[in-house]
Amino acid sequence: MWGIFLESVAIFKNYMGYYENGYLAGIFLLALLYLWMTEKDKCRRALLVYVPTVLLALFFCPLFRKAFVGILDDSGTYYRILWLLQMSIVSAYAILRLCRRHPRIGAAAACIVIAVCGNYVYDSQHITPAENLYHLPQEAIDVADAIDTDEGAVMVLMPEELIHFVRQYDTNIWMPYGREVLIPGWDYTPELYLEMERSEVIHTAALTEKASEYFCSYIVLKEDRKTDEPLTQYGYVLQNNVSGYLIYRNQSLSASAEDEGRMHSTNLSARSSRPASLK
Amino acid sequence: MLQVLGLLFWLLVVPFCIGLLPGCRMDGDKKTPGFLLLAGYFVMWAAFEVVALPCVIFLRQGGFAVLSMVFMILAIALAAVGAVSALRRRGRYGLCIGLPIGGMPWPERIEWLLFLALLAFQLYRAAAYTSFDGDDAYYVVESLLAQRTGMMYRFLPYTGGSTALDTRHALAVFPMWIAFVGAKSHIHTTILSHFVLPFVLIPLSYLVYYEIGRLLFRLPSGKTAGEDVRADQRAGRAAKGKDAAGEEIFRRENLPIFMILMAMFQIFGNVSIYTNETFFLTRIWQGKAVAGSLVIPAVLWMVLWIYGETSPKHNTADRKHNAADQERSAAGGESDGADKKHRTADGRRGGNAGMWLLFVCINMTAAVCSSMAAFLICMLMGLAALCVAFVRRNPWVILQMGLVCIPNAVYMLVYVLLRK
Repeated sequence: MWGIFLESVAIFKNYMGYYENGYLAGIFLLALLYLWMTEKDKCRRALLVYVPTVLLALFFCPLFRKAFVGILDDSGTYYRILWLLQMSIVSAYAILRLCRRHPRIGAAAACIVIAVCGNYVYDSQHITPAENLYHLPQEAIDVADAIDTDEGAVMVLMPEELIHFVRQYDTNIWMPYGREVLIPGWDYTPELYLEMERSEVIHTAALTEKASEYFCSYIVLKEDRKTDEPLTQYGYVLQNNVSGYLIYRNQSLSASAEDEGRMHSTNLSARSSRPASLK
Repeated sequence: MLQVLGLLFWLLVVPFCIGLLPGCRMDGDKKTPGFLLLAGYFVMWAAFEVVALPCVIFLRQGGFAVLSMVFMILAIALAAVGAVSALRRRGRYGLCIGLPIGGMPWPERIEWLLFLALLAFQLYRAAAYTSFDGDDAYYVVESLLAQRTGMMYRFLPYTGGSTALDTRHALAVFPMWIAFVGAKSHIHTTILSHFVLPFVLIPLSYLVYYEIGRLLFRLPSGKTAGEDVRADQRAGRAAKGKDAAGEEIFRRENLPIFMILMAMFQIFGNVSIYTNETFFLTRIWQGKAVAGSLVIPAVLWMVLWIYGETSPKHNTADRKHNAADQERSAAGGESDGADKKHRTADGRRGGNAGMWLLFVCINMTAAVCSSMAAFLICMLMGLAALCVAFVRRNPWVILQMGLVCIPNAVYMLVYVLLRK
């Protein structure tokens, strides 16, 4: 039980940005304390004081956590209980209540405190200027456009930096593996992925052999990716060079083999189906 | 051009007209265009869930086509009924179109402008910047798969292979709603998700915060917030009030300051990748982000609305108001008699049906967003019911809010049955 409690404390600290000097949790807890002492309106007290307090108590309660994880069969999303606190609403209301005599001065000061204690969302390394209306990397779109999917779905071996994006643009591009290989906790690393990404110099023979097991019609490689032998020696032809990516087409694969590949992929993919939760 | 018209129709006209429907059963001051749009979205999403779940569960082939057809008819029918009902009531409907800026002092106007600038900044960043999130490889692709293949949750989004129904995610049909709007507007669902929807969902969330602010900074007397504004406009001053303890804090001019603070919390709320503020501005097109930033606050809004105005003191004011109303009716007051249903109990008996319908729809929307959100909302509802029942010494609150949760209880039952 103590261990479960400590895990909940760690989740709470992670959520509140304790390790990254985020102090909005401090504002919220002070706001909650202040409302405990001053809020007299019954409904507001119930909603903005009692409910968050009970939620926090439940969040740290080991028995509750065991029940929660048991019911939802998922421990990775336990932090979402903290969404119910609605920290912003409680904090903003308490700030205005506290600064009731001089709300404008109080709000100006509060804005500064929020900016200092919080973390500017647009500073995130994951937020970058959009390159197109899809909000996808332009090279992913260029590569997808260079692959012929008019006849139906084709199996394409993609470099890992593109696998998040190409199917958001064109679902007729199938892949032998997808995002699941990039999530450390999911422990799915097929041999093809190891051949494609884990060695400094790609062993072409091994790569093409594994790719043929998945009936890949195309292999896409970054332009500067080194191979011990050219892919053209293994039945592939360089079809295009777009946005720094070389697109090789497997000439030896017949249409019936491609169909078989899709069936095969279904079975392989079903085996590597994703875990229950998305973080 | 047709795409833009399609988007305007499905993201603005239809929800607004659907919102007129619960609006018919509510008192006048709530019926601002923003409120009606918000209400329309919740009703529309609830209706979508009712149609989508059987299609997802039972129809393996062509399920999306059936869903699109049935929901299109249903949504247009609801919108038409809403519009016709509002037109039939016309003057009595009580739509508040005018902005209450006439009697607003300049400092308050500047505060509103500041808030609007912060909102515009967030929308600009949402449109001009891309936010990478790995989960898009699942949710956005699910929408695109439905749009392109006509099948729902039957392909593995990461790779493309076919699969059995993934119950946990398949029962949260928000990506299918995106696919529906995309299909009807002839727009790629990835563009819709990443570029268009932030322009809808971010303002909608602020509308909920605005409604919460209206309730938090209203006069807690027998008057409603809208009456306060109108009365204050007539008097040419800002509204002031006193809370139950007699403190002078509930000023109407605090509302824009509250909104500014809310916007600041959203912009600087990225203390970790887990906060609902981070989800709000980086992936609002995903159902779970909608649940965290729109649906959960909406539940707080409804509880504040329903139970925040029914203090014993308030009820006394209601009774006096009703008695005066009855006297006028007995004396042959035509307008009171005609509008009696909408005027009783502070104008709220007429409003009860629409209000409770909206509350049920908000609960159902949680299940549209994510199966976990359905569970979380039930938990929040239960806690709120217990706390409100405790402070009000009224056990009926638990029954009332329990009844509101019935659709989510059914949803969870289906979820459990399918998972077995």
